[in-house]
Amino acid sequence: MKRVAIIVVLLAFVAAGCSQKAVTRPEGQQEQKKETTGTRNEANKITENKIPSDVESVGSKEGSSEMMKEQEDVFKDIHFDFDKYDVKETFRPVLKSIATWMTKNTDARLSVEGHCDDRGTNEYNLALGDRRAKAVRDALVALGVPPSRIDTISYGEEKPVCKEQTEECWARNRRAHFVVLTKAGK
Amino acid sequence: MTYPNTALSIEHSTGHGRSAGIFLLLILLLAPSLSSAKIYIDITSPSIKKMPVAVFDLQGPQGAEISDVIRDDLTFTGLFMCVDKSSYTETASQPFSQANWLPLGVEAVVKGTISGDRNFSASVKLYDTADGREIMNKQYQAERSLLRQIGHTIANDIYQALTGGQGIFRTRILFVGEDGGEKGMYMMDWDGQRLRKLGLKGSLMLTPHWASDGTKIIYSSERGRQWGIYLLDFLKLTEKKVFSAKGINMAGDFFPDGNSFVFSSSKDGTPNIYSYQLGSGTVRKITSTRGIDVSPAVSPDGKSIAFISDRGGSPQVYVMGTDGQELRRLTFEGSYNTSPSWSPLGDRIVFSGRKNGRNQIFTIAPDGTQLTQLTDQGNNEDPSFSPDGRYISFTSDRERIKAIFIMRANGEAQKRITPRSLKAFGPRWSPN
Repeated sequence: MKRVAIIVVLLAFVAAGCSQKAVTRPEGQQEQKKETTGTRNEANKITENKIPSDVESVGSKEGSSEMMKEQEDVFKDIHFDFDKYDVKETFRPVLKSIATWMTKNTDARLSVEGHCDDRGTNEYNLALGDRRAKAVRDALVALGVPPSRIDTISYGEEKPVCKEQTEECWARNRRAHFVVLTKAGK
Repeated sequence: MTYPNTALSIEHSTGHGRSAGIFLLLILLLAPSLSSAKIYIDITSPSIKKMPVAVFDLQGPQGAEISDVIRDDLTFTGLFMCVDKSSYTETASQPFSQANWLPLGVEAVVKGTISGDRNFSASVKLYDTADGREIMNKQYQAERSLLRQIGHTIANDIYQALTGGQGIFRTRILFVGEDGGEKGMYMMDWDGQRLRKLGLKGSLMLTPHWASDGTKIIYSSERGRQWGIYLLDFLKLTEKKVFSAKGINMAGDFFPDGNSFVFSSSKDGTPNIYSYQLGSGTVRKITSTRGIDVSPAVSPDGKSIAFISDRGGSPQVYVMGTDGQELRRLTFEGSYNTSPSWSPLGDRIVFSGRKNGRNQIFTIAPDGTQLTQLTDQGNNEDPSFSPDGRYISFTSDRERIKAIFIMRANGEAQKRITPRSLKAFGPRWSPN
């Protein structure tokens, strides 16, 4: 007797159906990525002031506003030792000026990004980045910044500022990076 | 949303588990085969002498291409040696004769024909030279576009006839690729052929994890500055976010039932291990460390979880029950061990460990014995087993750009299967 077996081969086109969903952002996360402080006529939209990382930033952008310049001076990256997430004492002055800036700019909210060098594995590095971002957040909270004004996110090894396989480069990538979120129109 | 060309009936076929899916149909007419209890190669034996086989080009259009697929499949297993065609003394059209093969030391011979144009049929016979008899005679029908799958199906049948085991030649590997700075989910056949994008994009994406029936996967993606866990259902063709919270949320393995999975999340502050029930949405906390607990992997029997913790001062592999009890540390060598994954039999855990400043693939028994290093070139990460436990897929940067590699479970025959042009990582072998 002949047996008929139907074997179906997988979907090249799962794609078509899902791509639309793939770009849907979670509610409440409708941030606009912009380099400048925001669009005045759209109230309540959150804009991002991307702060270039310390070394690269100097003089790299033309027409930076004074505020941007000031932010660059204040929001310097915090660096970490390999596989460590404790904030070193040497970065206390940086954290202090950030805390001072935050008390002067009461509308500003802060996102702390945790980053790692690429020598570890993805998932562990994401956890490490999470711990780094939160360690910096906790340090800022201890300096008087309300926790409600600081968010954290980990990017692990996914967003390096430097791609060479050198100790100097790895050290630059092991960082907490600051992104100031400002309410537009204020 | 409507999908054209969807939903065709799916039947069960012995030897392939539930191969589910849509769109392309491959119909196999399996003629009754002479059942043979004889095992030609004992694949459980630790040291195996390669079995010399002769695989003729199937006679007819594109027959040689199909036979190339069959030979490549059989050769990669490390169990067979395909004898050079030039040494054959019998031609494809002559009838099989035992006397032509015994002097060559060939133990099995594959012969067959192909006919038809768009829909073609193949007839394949397998001969045992020692007994001088036919041990397999099967017919296959399919659209010509499915040529490689036909080759893999024939290879599976030959493999089963000679070893008694299930071949993995129709399995696929999912991975995360990065092309032009954008990450996306990709799928390919286990041999790297028929590479295609699934169209799931995200700024960032992590290793997918299959449900044991192969119908769905979960994976983590960062979208809008938030890490979420997403479920892709291959039957319904839908993607949905199943879990998201502040902090990192990273999917681990499904439990064998396919209705719940483990994950790590820092929603309560520090990264810990949780389980999630798909139907009810119940989240259960399994570990409570003040350090880092990540990368949970469920044992095949569903009773144990291997994971990474830095509670001892450096990231190491730990094993515990699904309730978090009976916790024990598994790895003690080195100061950076991550990415554990179980073998299908549950007798090995494969992981990535740091040695001399680079990440290498190791296996270890669940009791902590038999630590074995499998790689020594470049950095090697994200290891996991094939469904039959005989092979391991992993990521390596040994050729500079990160690419997907496969090897035998003992470390032999390491080869890159993704193109050099594509940055690729996080491979996971399909369960069927």
